Amino acid sequence: MSRVVKKSPSVCTDLPLDNTDICNKLSLLKQLLISCFGPAGRLKQIHNNIGGRVISTSTSSVLLSALSSSQPFINLIRTSVLNHVSRFNDCGLFTAILCLTLLEQAKQSGLRRNVSIIVNKHLLGLCTSYLQGQNCGCKVKLDFCSSQYFITLAFSVISSKPACVLTEPEALHISKLAVQAFLLTVPCNNTGVARLGKTLTVCVEGHPVLDSAVFPGLLVDMPDIFFLNAENLHGRSLCTVLFSASLAGDLCELGDGNIELHGDADTDSQILDQLLELGKQVVQDGVNLFVCQKVIHPVLQQYLRGQSVTVIERLGISLMESLSQLAGAQPVATLHTRIPPKAYGKVKELTIKQFGSKTMLHIHPSGESAICTMILCHRNDTMLSELKVVCQKTEHVLRLTLREPCALMGGGCTETHLAAYIRNKCIKEVIESASLLGCSQTEYLLGAEGFCRSLESVAAALDHKCGNSLTDLTHAHYWTLPADVVEDHMENSLGVCGCGLVESCPSKKWTYLNTKYPEFSPAPVSKGTHLQVRVLDSFTSKLSGLQVAVETANLALDVQYIIQDTN
Amino acid sequence: VMLGSTIINHRQHVGLQKLSALAEITRSSLGPNKNYKFIQDDTTGESTLVCSCFRILESLELTCSVGQVVYETIETHHRVYNTGSGCLLFLAGAWSHAALECLHRGISVRHIISAMSEGMEICLNVCRQCSISIKRREVSELCPFNVSTVKDSHAHQQLTPRASERPFNLGPQKKLKLSRHFRESESPSISTIHASQLCSYEPFFPDIAHIAETLSHGCTDAMNLVVKASQMQSECNQQDIAFDVTKVVTCVLPGLVEEQATVLPGCVVLVPAEQASVAHHLKEQHLKVALIHGDLAATYRHLGYNRPKGIQSVSDRLDLSRLSKEDTWMEKVVTLLLNLEVNVILVSGVASEKVIECCWRRNILVVEKVKASILKAFAVSTGAIPVTYATQLSKHCVGTGLKVSIWRDLSNNDRKRGTAVNITTDGLNCGLVTVILTSSVHAKLQTLEDQFWACAYRLHWALKDKALLPGAGVTEMVCIQHLQNEAEHDIRNPTESNGVSSQQNKPRTPANPYRDVVLTLMADGLKDYICTVMVNTGVFSKVGARAAVIQHLQDYHGTVGDVAAKFSQLFLHTDTCYNATPTSVESSETPAIKTYDNLCVKQEVWRKALDLVFLVLQTDAEVITGVDRKTNGAQEDLMFL
Repeated sequence: MSRVVKKSPSVCTDLPLDNTDICNKLSLLKQLLISCFGPAGRLKQIHNNIGGRVISTSTSSVLLSALSSSQPFINLIRTSVLNHVSRFNDCGLFTAILCLTLLEQAKQSGLRRNVSIIVNKHLLGLCTSYLQGQNCGCKVKLDFCSSQYFITLAFSVISSKPACVLTEPEALHISKLAVQAFLLTVPCNNTGVARLGKTLTVCVEGHPVLDSAVFPGLLVDMPDIFFLNAENLHGRSLCTVLFSASLAGDLCELGDGNIELHGDADTDSQILDQLLELGKQVVQDGVNLFVCQKVIHPVLQQYLRGQSVTVIERLGISLMESLSQLAGAQPVATLHTRIPPKAYGKVKELTIKQFGSKTMLHIHPSGESAICTMILCHRNDTMLSELKVVCQKTEHVLRLTLREPCALMGGGCTETHLAAYIRNKCIKEVIESASLLGCSQTEYLLGAEGFCRSLESVAAALDHKCGNSLTDLTHAHYWTLPADVVEDHMENSLGVCGCGLVESCPSKKWTYLNTKYPEFSPAPVSKGTHLQVRVLDSFTSKLSGLQVAVETANLALDVQYIIQDTN
Repeated sequence: VMLGSTIINHRQHVGLQKLSALAEITRSSLGPNKNYKFIQDDTTGESTLVCSCFRILESLELTCSVGQVVYETIETHHRVYNTGSGCLLFLAGAWSHAALECLHRGISVRHIISAMSEGMEICLNVCRQCSISIKRREVSELCPFNVSTVKDSHAHQQLTPRASERPFNLGPQKKLKLSRHFRESESPSISTIHASQLCSYEPFFPDIAHIAETLSHGCTDAMNLVVKASQMQSECNQQDIAFDVTKVVTCVLPGLVEEQATVLPGCVVLVPAEQASVAHHLKEQHLKVALIHGDLAATYRHLGYNRPKGIQSVSDRLDLSRLSKEDTWMEKVVTLLLNLEVNVILVSGVASEKVIECCWRRNILVVEKVKASILKAFAVSTGAIPVTYATQLSKHCVGTGLKVSIWRDLSNNDRKRGTAVNITTDGLNCGLVTVILTSSVHAKLQTLEDQFWACAYRLHWALKDKALLPGAGVTEMVCIQHLQNEAEHDIRNPTESNGVSSQQNKPRTPANPYRDVVLTLMADGLKDYICTVMVNTGVFSKVGARAAVIQHLQDYHGTVGDVAAKFSQLFLHTDTCYNATPTSVESSETPAIKTYDNLCVKQEVWRKALDLVFLVLQTDAEVITGVDRKTNGAQEDLMFL
């Protein structure tokens, strides 16, 4: 007799945003993420409860993947932000903090949810068109003739992650490498369809950061260096063949099922004969570099080496793709047919490079290949793994500039500037907008105030030392005032704004963030300034982050019930 | 998956406290006189005798997250540098103590980090400036700074304001000697370091034994072995200075007294009695060698070979006379070996007993479990090509010129690993040397091996840096002096922007108001380090060491460059007072040994120590994944998401 297990009923939560437990969790999440934000952010040590590896990080991609919750409502927001991060690799914390603050502000304003939603949506439209427009005052056009802006952009990303523990010269060195790697992956020949190359990262721990370097071509780890014959490597063009099939000489592709074999039959030697046949063809065709993604039978290796062919085995799938692009070769997937001539590729030369304990074979491309390798060195593994994540992020951010060659002023200035712009715009067009959205003018202004405050609190989240966050009343850039400074000496102790483009001067007026101030139209910074922008944010990913944050907040505001199947 | 997170209280940073507490374990293993520690596992009852910081941490199995980050750092450092782990942990502790003190005084994390980073720059600069070139002729290429100190008196004055006034007439100081007590320790060297050496007027003559002596740090026996190894390598390569640490292997033999430790060319393997008889037979002959990279067995298949599943063997007749697959293989291999006249087979994996026995009967020596690096060295020196399968062997794979000799018969200790056989090549191009470490106390072997490698790597890094740092706390003293001077500069000129940053032309960054406090606390960390080393020498009491260092810093306040020379006088003074021995008696003794440190190792250790502090200091919460609310719900400090 089968036993019937009684199903427990589903749990239904009505209006999740009014639920205390959910609100507490949202505020904990917000607190956690805010504390990680920016170059002065605090780190989190992530580990599991059974003593697994410890990761010290403040990067959203690592942090949010670890922060899964028992509460689906939290996971909704988390997944949405993670999705943004997986597409753009940057501005994850910005997105999450903005989204959580918008929810909080909507709750505080006491507006009806649908009103909050339509106002938010309307304001997002205003922001987007302002940022994309010609007159945007917080945007910098990137000039591909100079690398300065690119290095600044990379430096901003790299120095925003304190878990890398980099000194300023080290951060600058890595920024320059990131830009160099980026430029190497942009193909130069403009015939046909241009295809972006790839940067591969190799980590070497225990060595100084300043030993990090970028090389065009591929660097392949060679643990069995004693098989490398130095005289085969000298500078000559090498005909290359790539195998994606295993050449281990086993019968791994048989699948399931039994096979009956005659006792005298020696499958191993038969396959080996076939492999050697393949080797002969390859040697006849003049191949000098023989690469296999998987294992190569030692006898075949020995034969090939005897014919002065350089052999690389166990390359792995990730390098395989890049090598095939670098050499212009088609990977061969079987050993049962003759290799077509067009499958062969070419590399310029091979050299041996030593990084700490790692011996690497450097495969130089024969022409423009847009493939490069970045060697990252750091003193310990924790910091190295964060550095690797940050470098990948930087690469992505730099690539996004090809889509939209501009950047936003960083260091909180874009947020405060945008807030000032929206405030001014809303007041000016309140009558039209309110009637367009079908809400009262008061509701519209209340919603707008919440939206602007949310933007400003993201900027204020950059400050972790309980200083005071300010904005100036001309350009609406973001400033911080150290906690122990008397207000009389304000202009002396303020220095420059968050992005470094505006200097304090006695005629300037400031106001504390999140206080009422007379609305004004923020002026763009005049072209004549002698100051260099110090912090830049990725335009594309910040814009997307803004959209994701508002849309996720709107979605969360729209949730009426959460139904959880607890079985 | 659930998540718990703990928020660390800001003013009483738990992480820093843990780091500081962890560092205490290394206190007694600093300096040349180290104390052993017993570490006992309560569950198994096993205990280990450890001496170095790295080994202590290794045996402790730290579970807290800070502990793991510390261990990871030390482990990486040890793997690359093999020396300096104790100093790393101690300074991480001392500086986390400094950071804690800063937090107590309400200094923000950002200010602590910026000031400590500056302090580190100051210290690293001191290292660069104090370094002493060990190559006479190429000074200009190797040490551009040193040249500038000679030529440019202005640049010079920054470090050694008075060295130019009294460049070489340090005669009287050279005669100063220290008491016997002090000579046994690391500190006596202080007496012979002059200001002139500090600014590298006097580059070292490249004599390996001399350099090695100054780097022995109390492990004279181990360093003597290193010197022997290097001499052996030099003979091989016919070079003046040769020390290739990658071609040194150690062989640890329990049961012999420590004095029997020695260095042999080639490699040493332990073989059982039957194999030893083969070795006897083969000695004093030119032998042919085959190198097998893998196992020597019929069933062995190369790495990455997947054995087919579901294969059934069928046969149409019953053939009882047929040889088994293994026998067929064996016959093939033995015939091949005999045809190629192979005498010795070095196998990186294991060999099946049948093969060993079969080879033994034909006087072929089979050596198992040979390290890949040794295989590689023999591949180079004999011309042999390593193969995976014995069946792959052909004429050009076989190397020649191998020699086998019996080093020592140890069969009364251990039947299985009875005889130590020395395998060498008769060519000069080998370079591989084996250091035999022995002890009658089994538990000490690990420590002896560690000490040997520490010495070997110290020499290795010195030759690689082509420079040395004044040791025995002198470099640290100069650092303290510089840090304190910078701090005082701030106090005297509070409105000015900070000293170092002012040179970097950053007019608009607001000055760090707490820089002087942080730098002073950082200097205190280094003081603690020097004092601990002094106390560990056994000459000073805790209070005495502290007083001596502070007194010295006060006496020579402001005269940065001379700190080393004066430091020596201080030690002389305090030491003579302490022992109430007149100096004249001391001066008749043999000259004291100088002590030097490695430049790159010290710089890396300091940076890594500060990295640890920064990582922990900046962390405000732990995120624990996979916490079950039901089991951990009671813990108050956990918050659930």
